[in-house]
Amino acid sequence: MTAVLEIQGLRKTYRARGGPRRALDGFEMYVEAGQVHGFLGPNGSGKTTTLRTLLGLIKPDSGEMRILGHELPRHLPSVVGQVGAIVESPQFFAHFTARDTLSLLADAGSLPKERVDWALELVGLRERAKERVKTYSLGMKQRLAVASALLKQPKLLILDEPANGLDPGGIREMRDMMATLSAGGMTVVLSSHILGEIQLICDSVTIISLGRRVAAGPVAEVLQAHSSGQVKVALETPADLSAAAQVLIAAGFQLQANADHLTLSGVDKPALIARLLAERQLYVSELTPVTADLESVFLELTGTAPVPGQVRSVDQSVRPELTPQSGVNS
Amino acid sequence: MSLVRAERRRFFKRRLTRWVFPIGLLLLVTIASILFAFHSKPTPEARARGEAAAEAMYQEQVRYYEQYKRECGEKCPDDGWTGPQRTDFRAEDFMPPSFDFKAQYGELFLVWAAIMAMVAFLLGASFVGAEWASGAMMNLLTWQPKRMKVLGTKLGVLLLSVAALSILALGVWTGILWAAGELRGTTEGLTPGVWQSFGLTALRGLGMILAFAALGFGLASIGRHTGLALGAALAVVIVGQVGLTILFQMIRVQFWEQYLVPVHIFAWMNKEMKLMDYSSPETVCDNAGNCNPPELLITWQDSGSIALGLVVVVLAFAFWQMRRRDIS
Repeated sequence: MTAVLEIQGLRKTYRARGGPRRALDGFEMYVEAGQVHGFLGPNGSGKTTTLRTLLGLIKPDSGEMRILGHELPRHLPSVVGQVGAIVESPQFFAHFTARDTLSLLADAGSLPKERVDWALELVGLRERAKERVKTYSLGMKQRLAVASALLKQPKLLILDEPANGLDPGGIREMRDMMATLSAGGMTVVLSSHILGEIQLICDSVTIISLGRRVAAGPVAEVLQAHSSGQVKVALETPADLSAAAQVLIAAGFQLQANADHLTLSGVDKPALIARLLAERQLYVSELTPVTADLESVFLELTGTAPVPGQVRSVDQSVRPELTPQSGVNS
Repeated sequence: MSLVRAERRRFFKRRLTRWVFPIGLLLLVTIASILFAFHSKPTPEARARGEAAAEAMYQEQVRYYEQYKRECGEKCPDDGWTGPQRTDFRAEDFMPPSFDFKAQYGELFLVWAAIMAMVAFLLGASFVGAEWASGAMMNLLTWQPKRMKVLGTKLGVLLLSVAALSILALGVWTGILWAAGELRGTTEGLTPGVWQSFGLTALRGLGMILAFAALGFGLASIGRHTGLALGAALAVVIVGQVGLTILFQMIRVQFWEQYLVPVHIFAWMNKEMKLMDYSSPETVCDNAGNCNPPELLITWQDSGSIALGLVVVVLAFAFWQMRRRDIS
């Protein structure tokens, strides 16, 4: 697989009133062709800075970036025609219609007029294309933003929070659209806080925290790498759960008793559990590994899980240590 | 060229363009119509009435003068005045005014240029300021990452569009005033030299309008908001003009008027402006013995150089910022 997007050692420091603020600190990212790639991070972690830097809106202090093999920002003008992007929530002139808005962009990019109808159709705005943007709901504006990014029929589509303001049906449509575009060969980089969606849509993810990469790779591998080795155990007869718990504790397992099942931690041989219980005539009806979901992995890696009674500042998240070889411990 | 086309379309689609220019044009049409309405063609009857009124006034003044001479007798000062002259009492002064196109059109360029300069400043500031404030500029830069090209194209389109609108407004303005000359006065005496002079004044007016457009554009680009340009304009008017006038008068700065924008606008449009310091105890006398207060002559070249310098500095800073600053 060839890399459509490569970032290495990206650094950016903002001058701020309270002193310099390091937004990106040796950040790395790789996105392979044809993938839907999730780009995750807490607020203020550097996601938008990364995307803006890629698009030439922010000048990095150092680091290397490539899109479709072209070095950025030097060769951005020659590759920008193949990159469609929305960064945060783009605003449009409220008194222009959706068709005017896209048509002006098509003019600026020397694109054929037919693309405008194509993009409006794709995001479901064709019927409302002659209405002024000020009459649009947040979700419709978001669709218009996505349409503007798709107008170029890009090879790389960068979407920052595309599901903002969408209703559940809209979110599903967006998910289906991503899948269709990806199947057609388009590479999609998707930044979102709706982690359930990311888990459903994305082939791979990069997680950023305080300007550094904390995890990257195929979604399944990231989840596997951070699963806790927990196993869920249910019995044919729920009344036997207490007896089963005693047997397993005696065998050295750590567990948590629930109403209808037990959750065991640090299990490396699940078959041993079934055998121990069967020897006591306690028969297992379910023995499944508890896989971590993306949300829990995200919260764990970024250190942003809410703690009762504490208010977390936006800058309170985990900054991983840099290593000479990989740049980041993940 | 595609970016030029897009920016041109964007400029003429903008609500402000569609409102502010017609308002400016309406203002010009209203002023020209008032001029038209308050002038009339001199008829023989009106001239006869004017001649009679002038003669009556002359006779009245002569009576006053003779009475004055009788009263003061030998004590009358010998100031060389021999009494009212008949030639000083013109029939035209006692007739309804008629519009002399040759004499008045040239002076009225200032009205057209001032109104269109105001329109141009607003359009220039809003054209780029609204783009910055709305995020549309950021969106556009993800399509055209060459920042200098984007800002340069926007400025070029703005100046060409404002020039086109100004010429259109001048056409309407001239049309009504020409009609006023034809129907309510005279259009006689328009030699090629007069037309050439009108043309040069119109060019200076157009230059002023474009300078205001560029200033609005540059200031809004620096502040990334229309409000900065409007705030700067307000500051110049309130602090720079009213405030400085009061201050300079209090501390008796000689020729303080030279720091006022209207003085330079007047000098630019009328080729020169002579300032006289009546508060000065000194006088300057010529060879013929005529003594006048000290004078300061401001030429259109002086005012033009100052304006050009200001526009260049503001635009250079705006472009430098566009190249250097992050867009977030």
